[in-house]
Amino acid sequence: MNRVGAAAAVSIAIFAVAAPFFLKPFGIFMISMWAVLAIAAMGLNLTLGYAGQVSLAQGAFVGIGAYAVALLTQAGYPFVLAFAAAGGLCFAVGWILGYPALRVQHHYLAFVTLAFTTLVFLVLRNEEWLTNGIYGINGIARPAFFGWSTRPAPNFYFFSLGTLAVLSIATWWMLRSPWGRAFVALRENPIRALSLGLDTRRYTLMAFAIGSGLGGLAGGLYAPLVQFIEPSSFALGMSFNLLLMVIVGGSGYFFGPFVGALIAVLLPEWMRIAQGYYLIVYAALVIVMMAFCPSGILGLIDRVSKVVLRSRPTAAALGPRGSAQGSVHEHGP
Amino acid sequence: MSTVLEVSNLRKSFGGIAAVDGVSFEVVEGEILGIIGPNGSGKSTLFNCVLGQLRPNDGDVRIDGRRTTGMRPCDLNRLGVSRTFQLLQVFPQLTVRDNLILAGQEHQGSMLSRLIGPADAGLGEAADRMIAFFRLSHRADELAGALSYGQQKLLDVAMAFMAGPRLVLLDEPAGGVNLTLLSHLRERLQAYHVERKATFVVIEHQMEFVMALCTRVLVLAEGRIIAEGAPQEIRRDPKVIEAYLGH
Amino acid sequence: MASFIQLLVSGLATGAIYALIAVGFTLLWQTSQTINFAQGEFVMLPAFFILAAMNAGAPFWFAALIGIALAVVILGLLFKLVIVDPMLQHGVLPLVISTIALSLLLKESAKDFYSSQAQPFPTLVPATDIHFFGAVISTQSLAVLAVAVATIVTLHLLLDRTRLGRAMQATAQNPTLALILGIPVRRMVLYAFLINAVLAAIASILISPIYLAKFTNGETLGMAAFVAAIIGGFNQVRGAILGGVILGVLDNLSAAYLSSQYRGAFPLLILIAIILMRPQGLLGRVEERTV
Repeated sequence: MNRVGAAAAVSIAIFAVAAPFFLKPFGIFMISMWAVLAIAAMGLNLTLGYAGQVSLAQGAFVGIGAYAVALLTQAGYPFVLAFAAAGGLCFAVGWILGYPALRVQHHYLAFVTLAFTTLVFLVLRNEEWLTNGIYGINGIARPAFFGWSTRPAPNFYFFSLGTLAVLSIATWWMLRSPWGRAFVALRENPIRALSLGLDTRRYTLMAFAIGSGLGGLAGGLYAPLVQFIEPSSFALGMSFNLLLMVIVGGSGYFFGPFVGALIAVLLPEWMRIAQGYYLIVYAALVIVMMAFCPSGILGLIDRVSKVVLRSRPTAAALGPRGSAQGSVHEHGP
Repeated sequence: MSTVLEVSNLRKSFGGIAAVDGVSFEVVEGEILGIIGPNGSGKSTLFNCVLGQLRPNDGDVRIDGRRTTGMRPCDLNRLGVSRTFQLLQVFPQLTVRDNLILAGQEHQGSMLSRLIGPADAGLGEAADRMIAFFRLSHRADELAGALSYGQQKLLDVAMAFMAGPRLVLLDEPAGGVNLTLLSHLRERLQAYHVERKATFVVIEHQMEFVMALCTRVLVLAEGRIIAEGAPQEIRRDPKVIEAYLGH
Repeated sequence: MASFIQLLVSGLATGAIYALIAVGFTLLWQTSQTINFAQGEFVMLPAFFILAAMNAGAPFWFAALIGIALAVVILGLLFKLVIVDPMLQHGVLPLVISTIALSLLLKESAKDFYSSQAQPFPTLVPATDIHFFGAVISTQSLAVLAVAVATIVTLHLLLDRTRLGRAMQATAQNPTLALILGIPVRRMVLYAFLINAVLAAIASILISPIYLAKFTNGETLGMAAFVAAIIGGFNQVRGAILGGVILGVLDNLSAAYLSSQYRGAFPLLILIAIILMRPQGLLGRVEERTV
């Protein structure tokens, strides 16, 4: 963990634990939303920042996870089981979706996930016998563990925060293992990686499937948080939102999604003055950011801190993707 | 002495221009085969066809008798074939040691075992030994991007050796390396060759390097083999001289 | 049989529009590696330019010209200069993200600055019906077909028969070689962007009477463009045309004979099928792996 990462981790931890004591119920709801979206964004960061693939279906996976948990808990299954099922189901669907799409080039996964999001929305809306269609599912209960109920807002917040912490540690472990090294190789130089025996297709697929699974787990928390879900929440809008979160925070940086999720949750509040034009401003900001610092906020901080602290300038100063890609003409990696 | 690599009648065209036009040769175990030829003679294309980077239009490639034409590079690597690249391809953001661990890790256990096991995939010591072999120990923990060009070239070769390959294809390993490091590189290649009884195929432009290192030389011109033999004979072959001067 | 002919004709009409959108998309990809995720919004937007012009008092034909001109300037020139050029140096991925953000921006802008309600859009010809072997075919479909076909033919003549067009093709196939041959590559790329804007504007004029001018149109139209381009073979203009027509016809037929509730899922199914069975598309070449 470099200096920037450590500083970020400590700041986030302090903020996260102390926050609910200073906030009103709506504020606590917002930071709970932050924790939940951060899980989904972390998953998308694996797909985008580490494996270099654009997925426009993360919102759909959140939706699948949310509906899975809502339906299973209302059918009487314990929350833990439903939660695990949400993650497992989305992992499997991600694998099935990614397998054909990643065998070809040209960012086909982006198109496939775009179409998949539409399909999921249609299924959620049309199959009323299962999902209650546009009327949605109401009264989703918040789980209780050994007598400790998560119904009160601060309790649910700490529950979400705890889940986020556990999942973050698991993801951190994975990135510290040889898999993490493989992901770096995959995004830096897939051709070289192939020649070293690294099955780039398998690792990319794994990153996408795990990322989708995390989306499902986020959905599993989303449902009891908002307690009422309906199909249009999980349409393209949420997928875009999650994508922009990862980008703005800094794709490929471990804490990027945390920062991005925070901005996404706070921005509508800050932009109240702009009267709902915030999406336009957000999108414009992203475009500007892509032109000047494509590695997001954390990338910017990284660059600035390297200059300020005068450490050795390396290729890392260009951000995780550097400028190594983008020059191949006809044939993609 | 078994045949490690067999190329039969390889043909590769790009839109009507035949870059490789019916090339056949064999590489016997323990050889160091040099492939030389003027620019545009098809050497790199030949390599890329053998290594799965390109799919040939015609012909066959066999490794240890097994047909490998069109196999993916990662599968070839698992069969014991390694390569270095003409344009430098180390991972600048990883340390030297991490580069080497990466180069060998895919041969350690299964994908799942690598997730659960140690962070260095059990290759920490092997990496250190390789670093010592190439005399890069003083820079082991630095980011590969901070090394000099020549040192990165050495790292590139070291990475190709990490998985203990039987057959190594080197694409212009001497390009852009200064004389001191060059003799060091050649000496390390010879040492590895003796120690591991590995087979090399080397594309090179620098004649002295080829003469000093290779046991046999192929000359390519316009996609075809025009001469073959011991380095000293090739040097005097009139066809070869003409091919080079004519360009 | 009669209804089949009706569906076929209207399918061909929609397909021709999809073809226009897909061709522009493919041109951008070929000449400058730009995957324009905002392509659907590029088709959604000119209709609003035209409606705004008409609100200001212009007659339809004049407003249409204004719409096309605005599209060329904003969605062609400005898009290239302000978004694509600065982004390309960072690689393909930032550009993809930018076009995704752009699609969001254009969609929300249309919703906020014009209207979130679907707006009626004037047709090219007065809507009458022709009776043909018992089938009822609207003149609108025929007009759409005529205009789309004329546009495609003009484009084809431009690309194949003029020096400019051949220079553009050379740029698309091998920009380095084109540069060596003295072709002003950057200008060719600019022309590709301008042509795309014109195609999108024409598609907008053709489709908005049918779909109504709605800020959400971009989603379906964009998806249609992507799928059509992939069906045809991602790097082939002719493939994009074929893909568009096939998609339009199949889509129309499926809507009539299958469940209409899942109408929007049809492109996905075709997409998955193509990727599984013939990933290089119908007319594409099998991709080489890179060196």
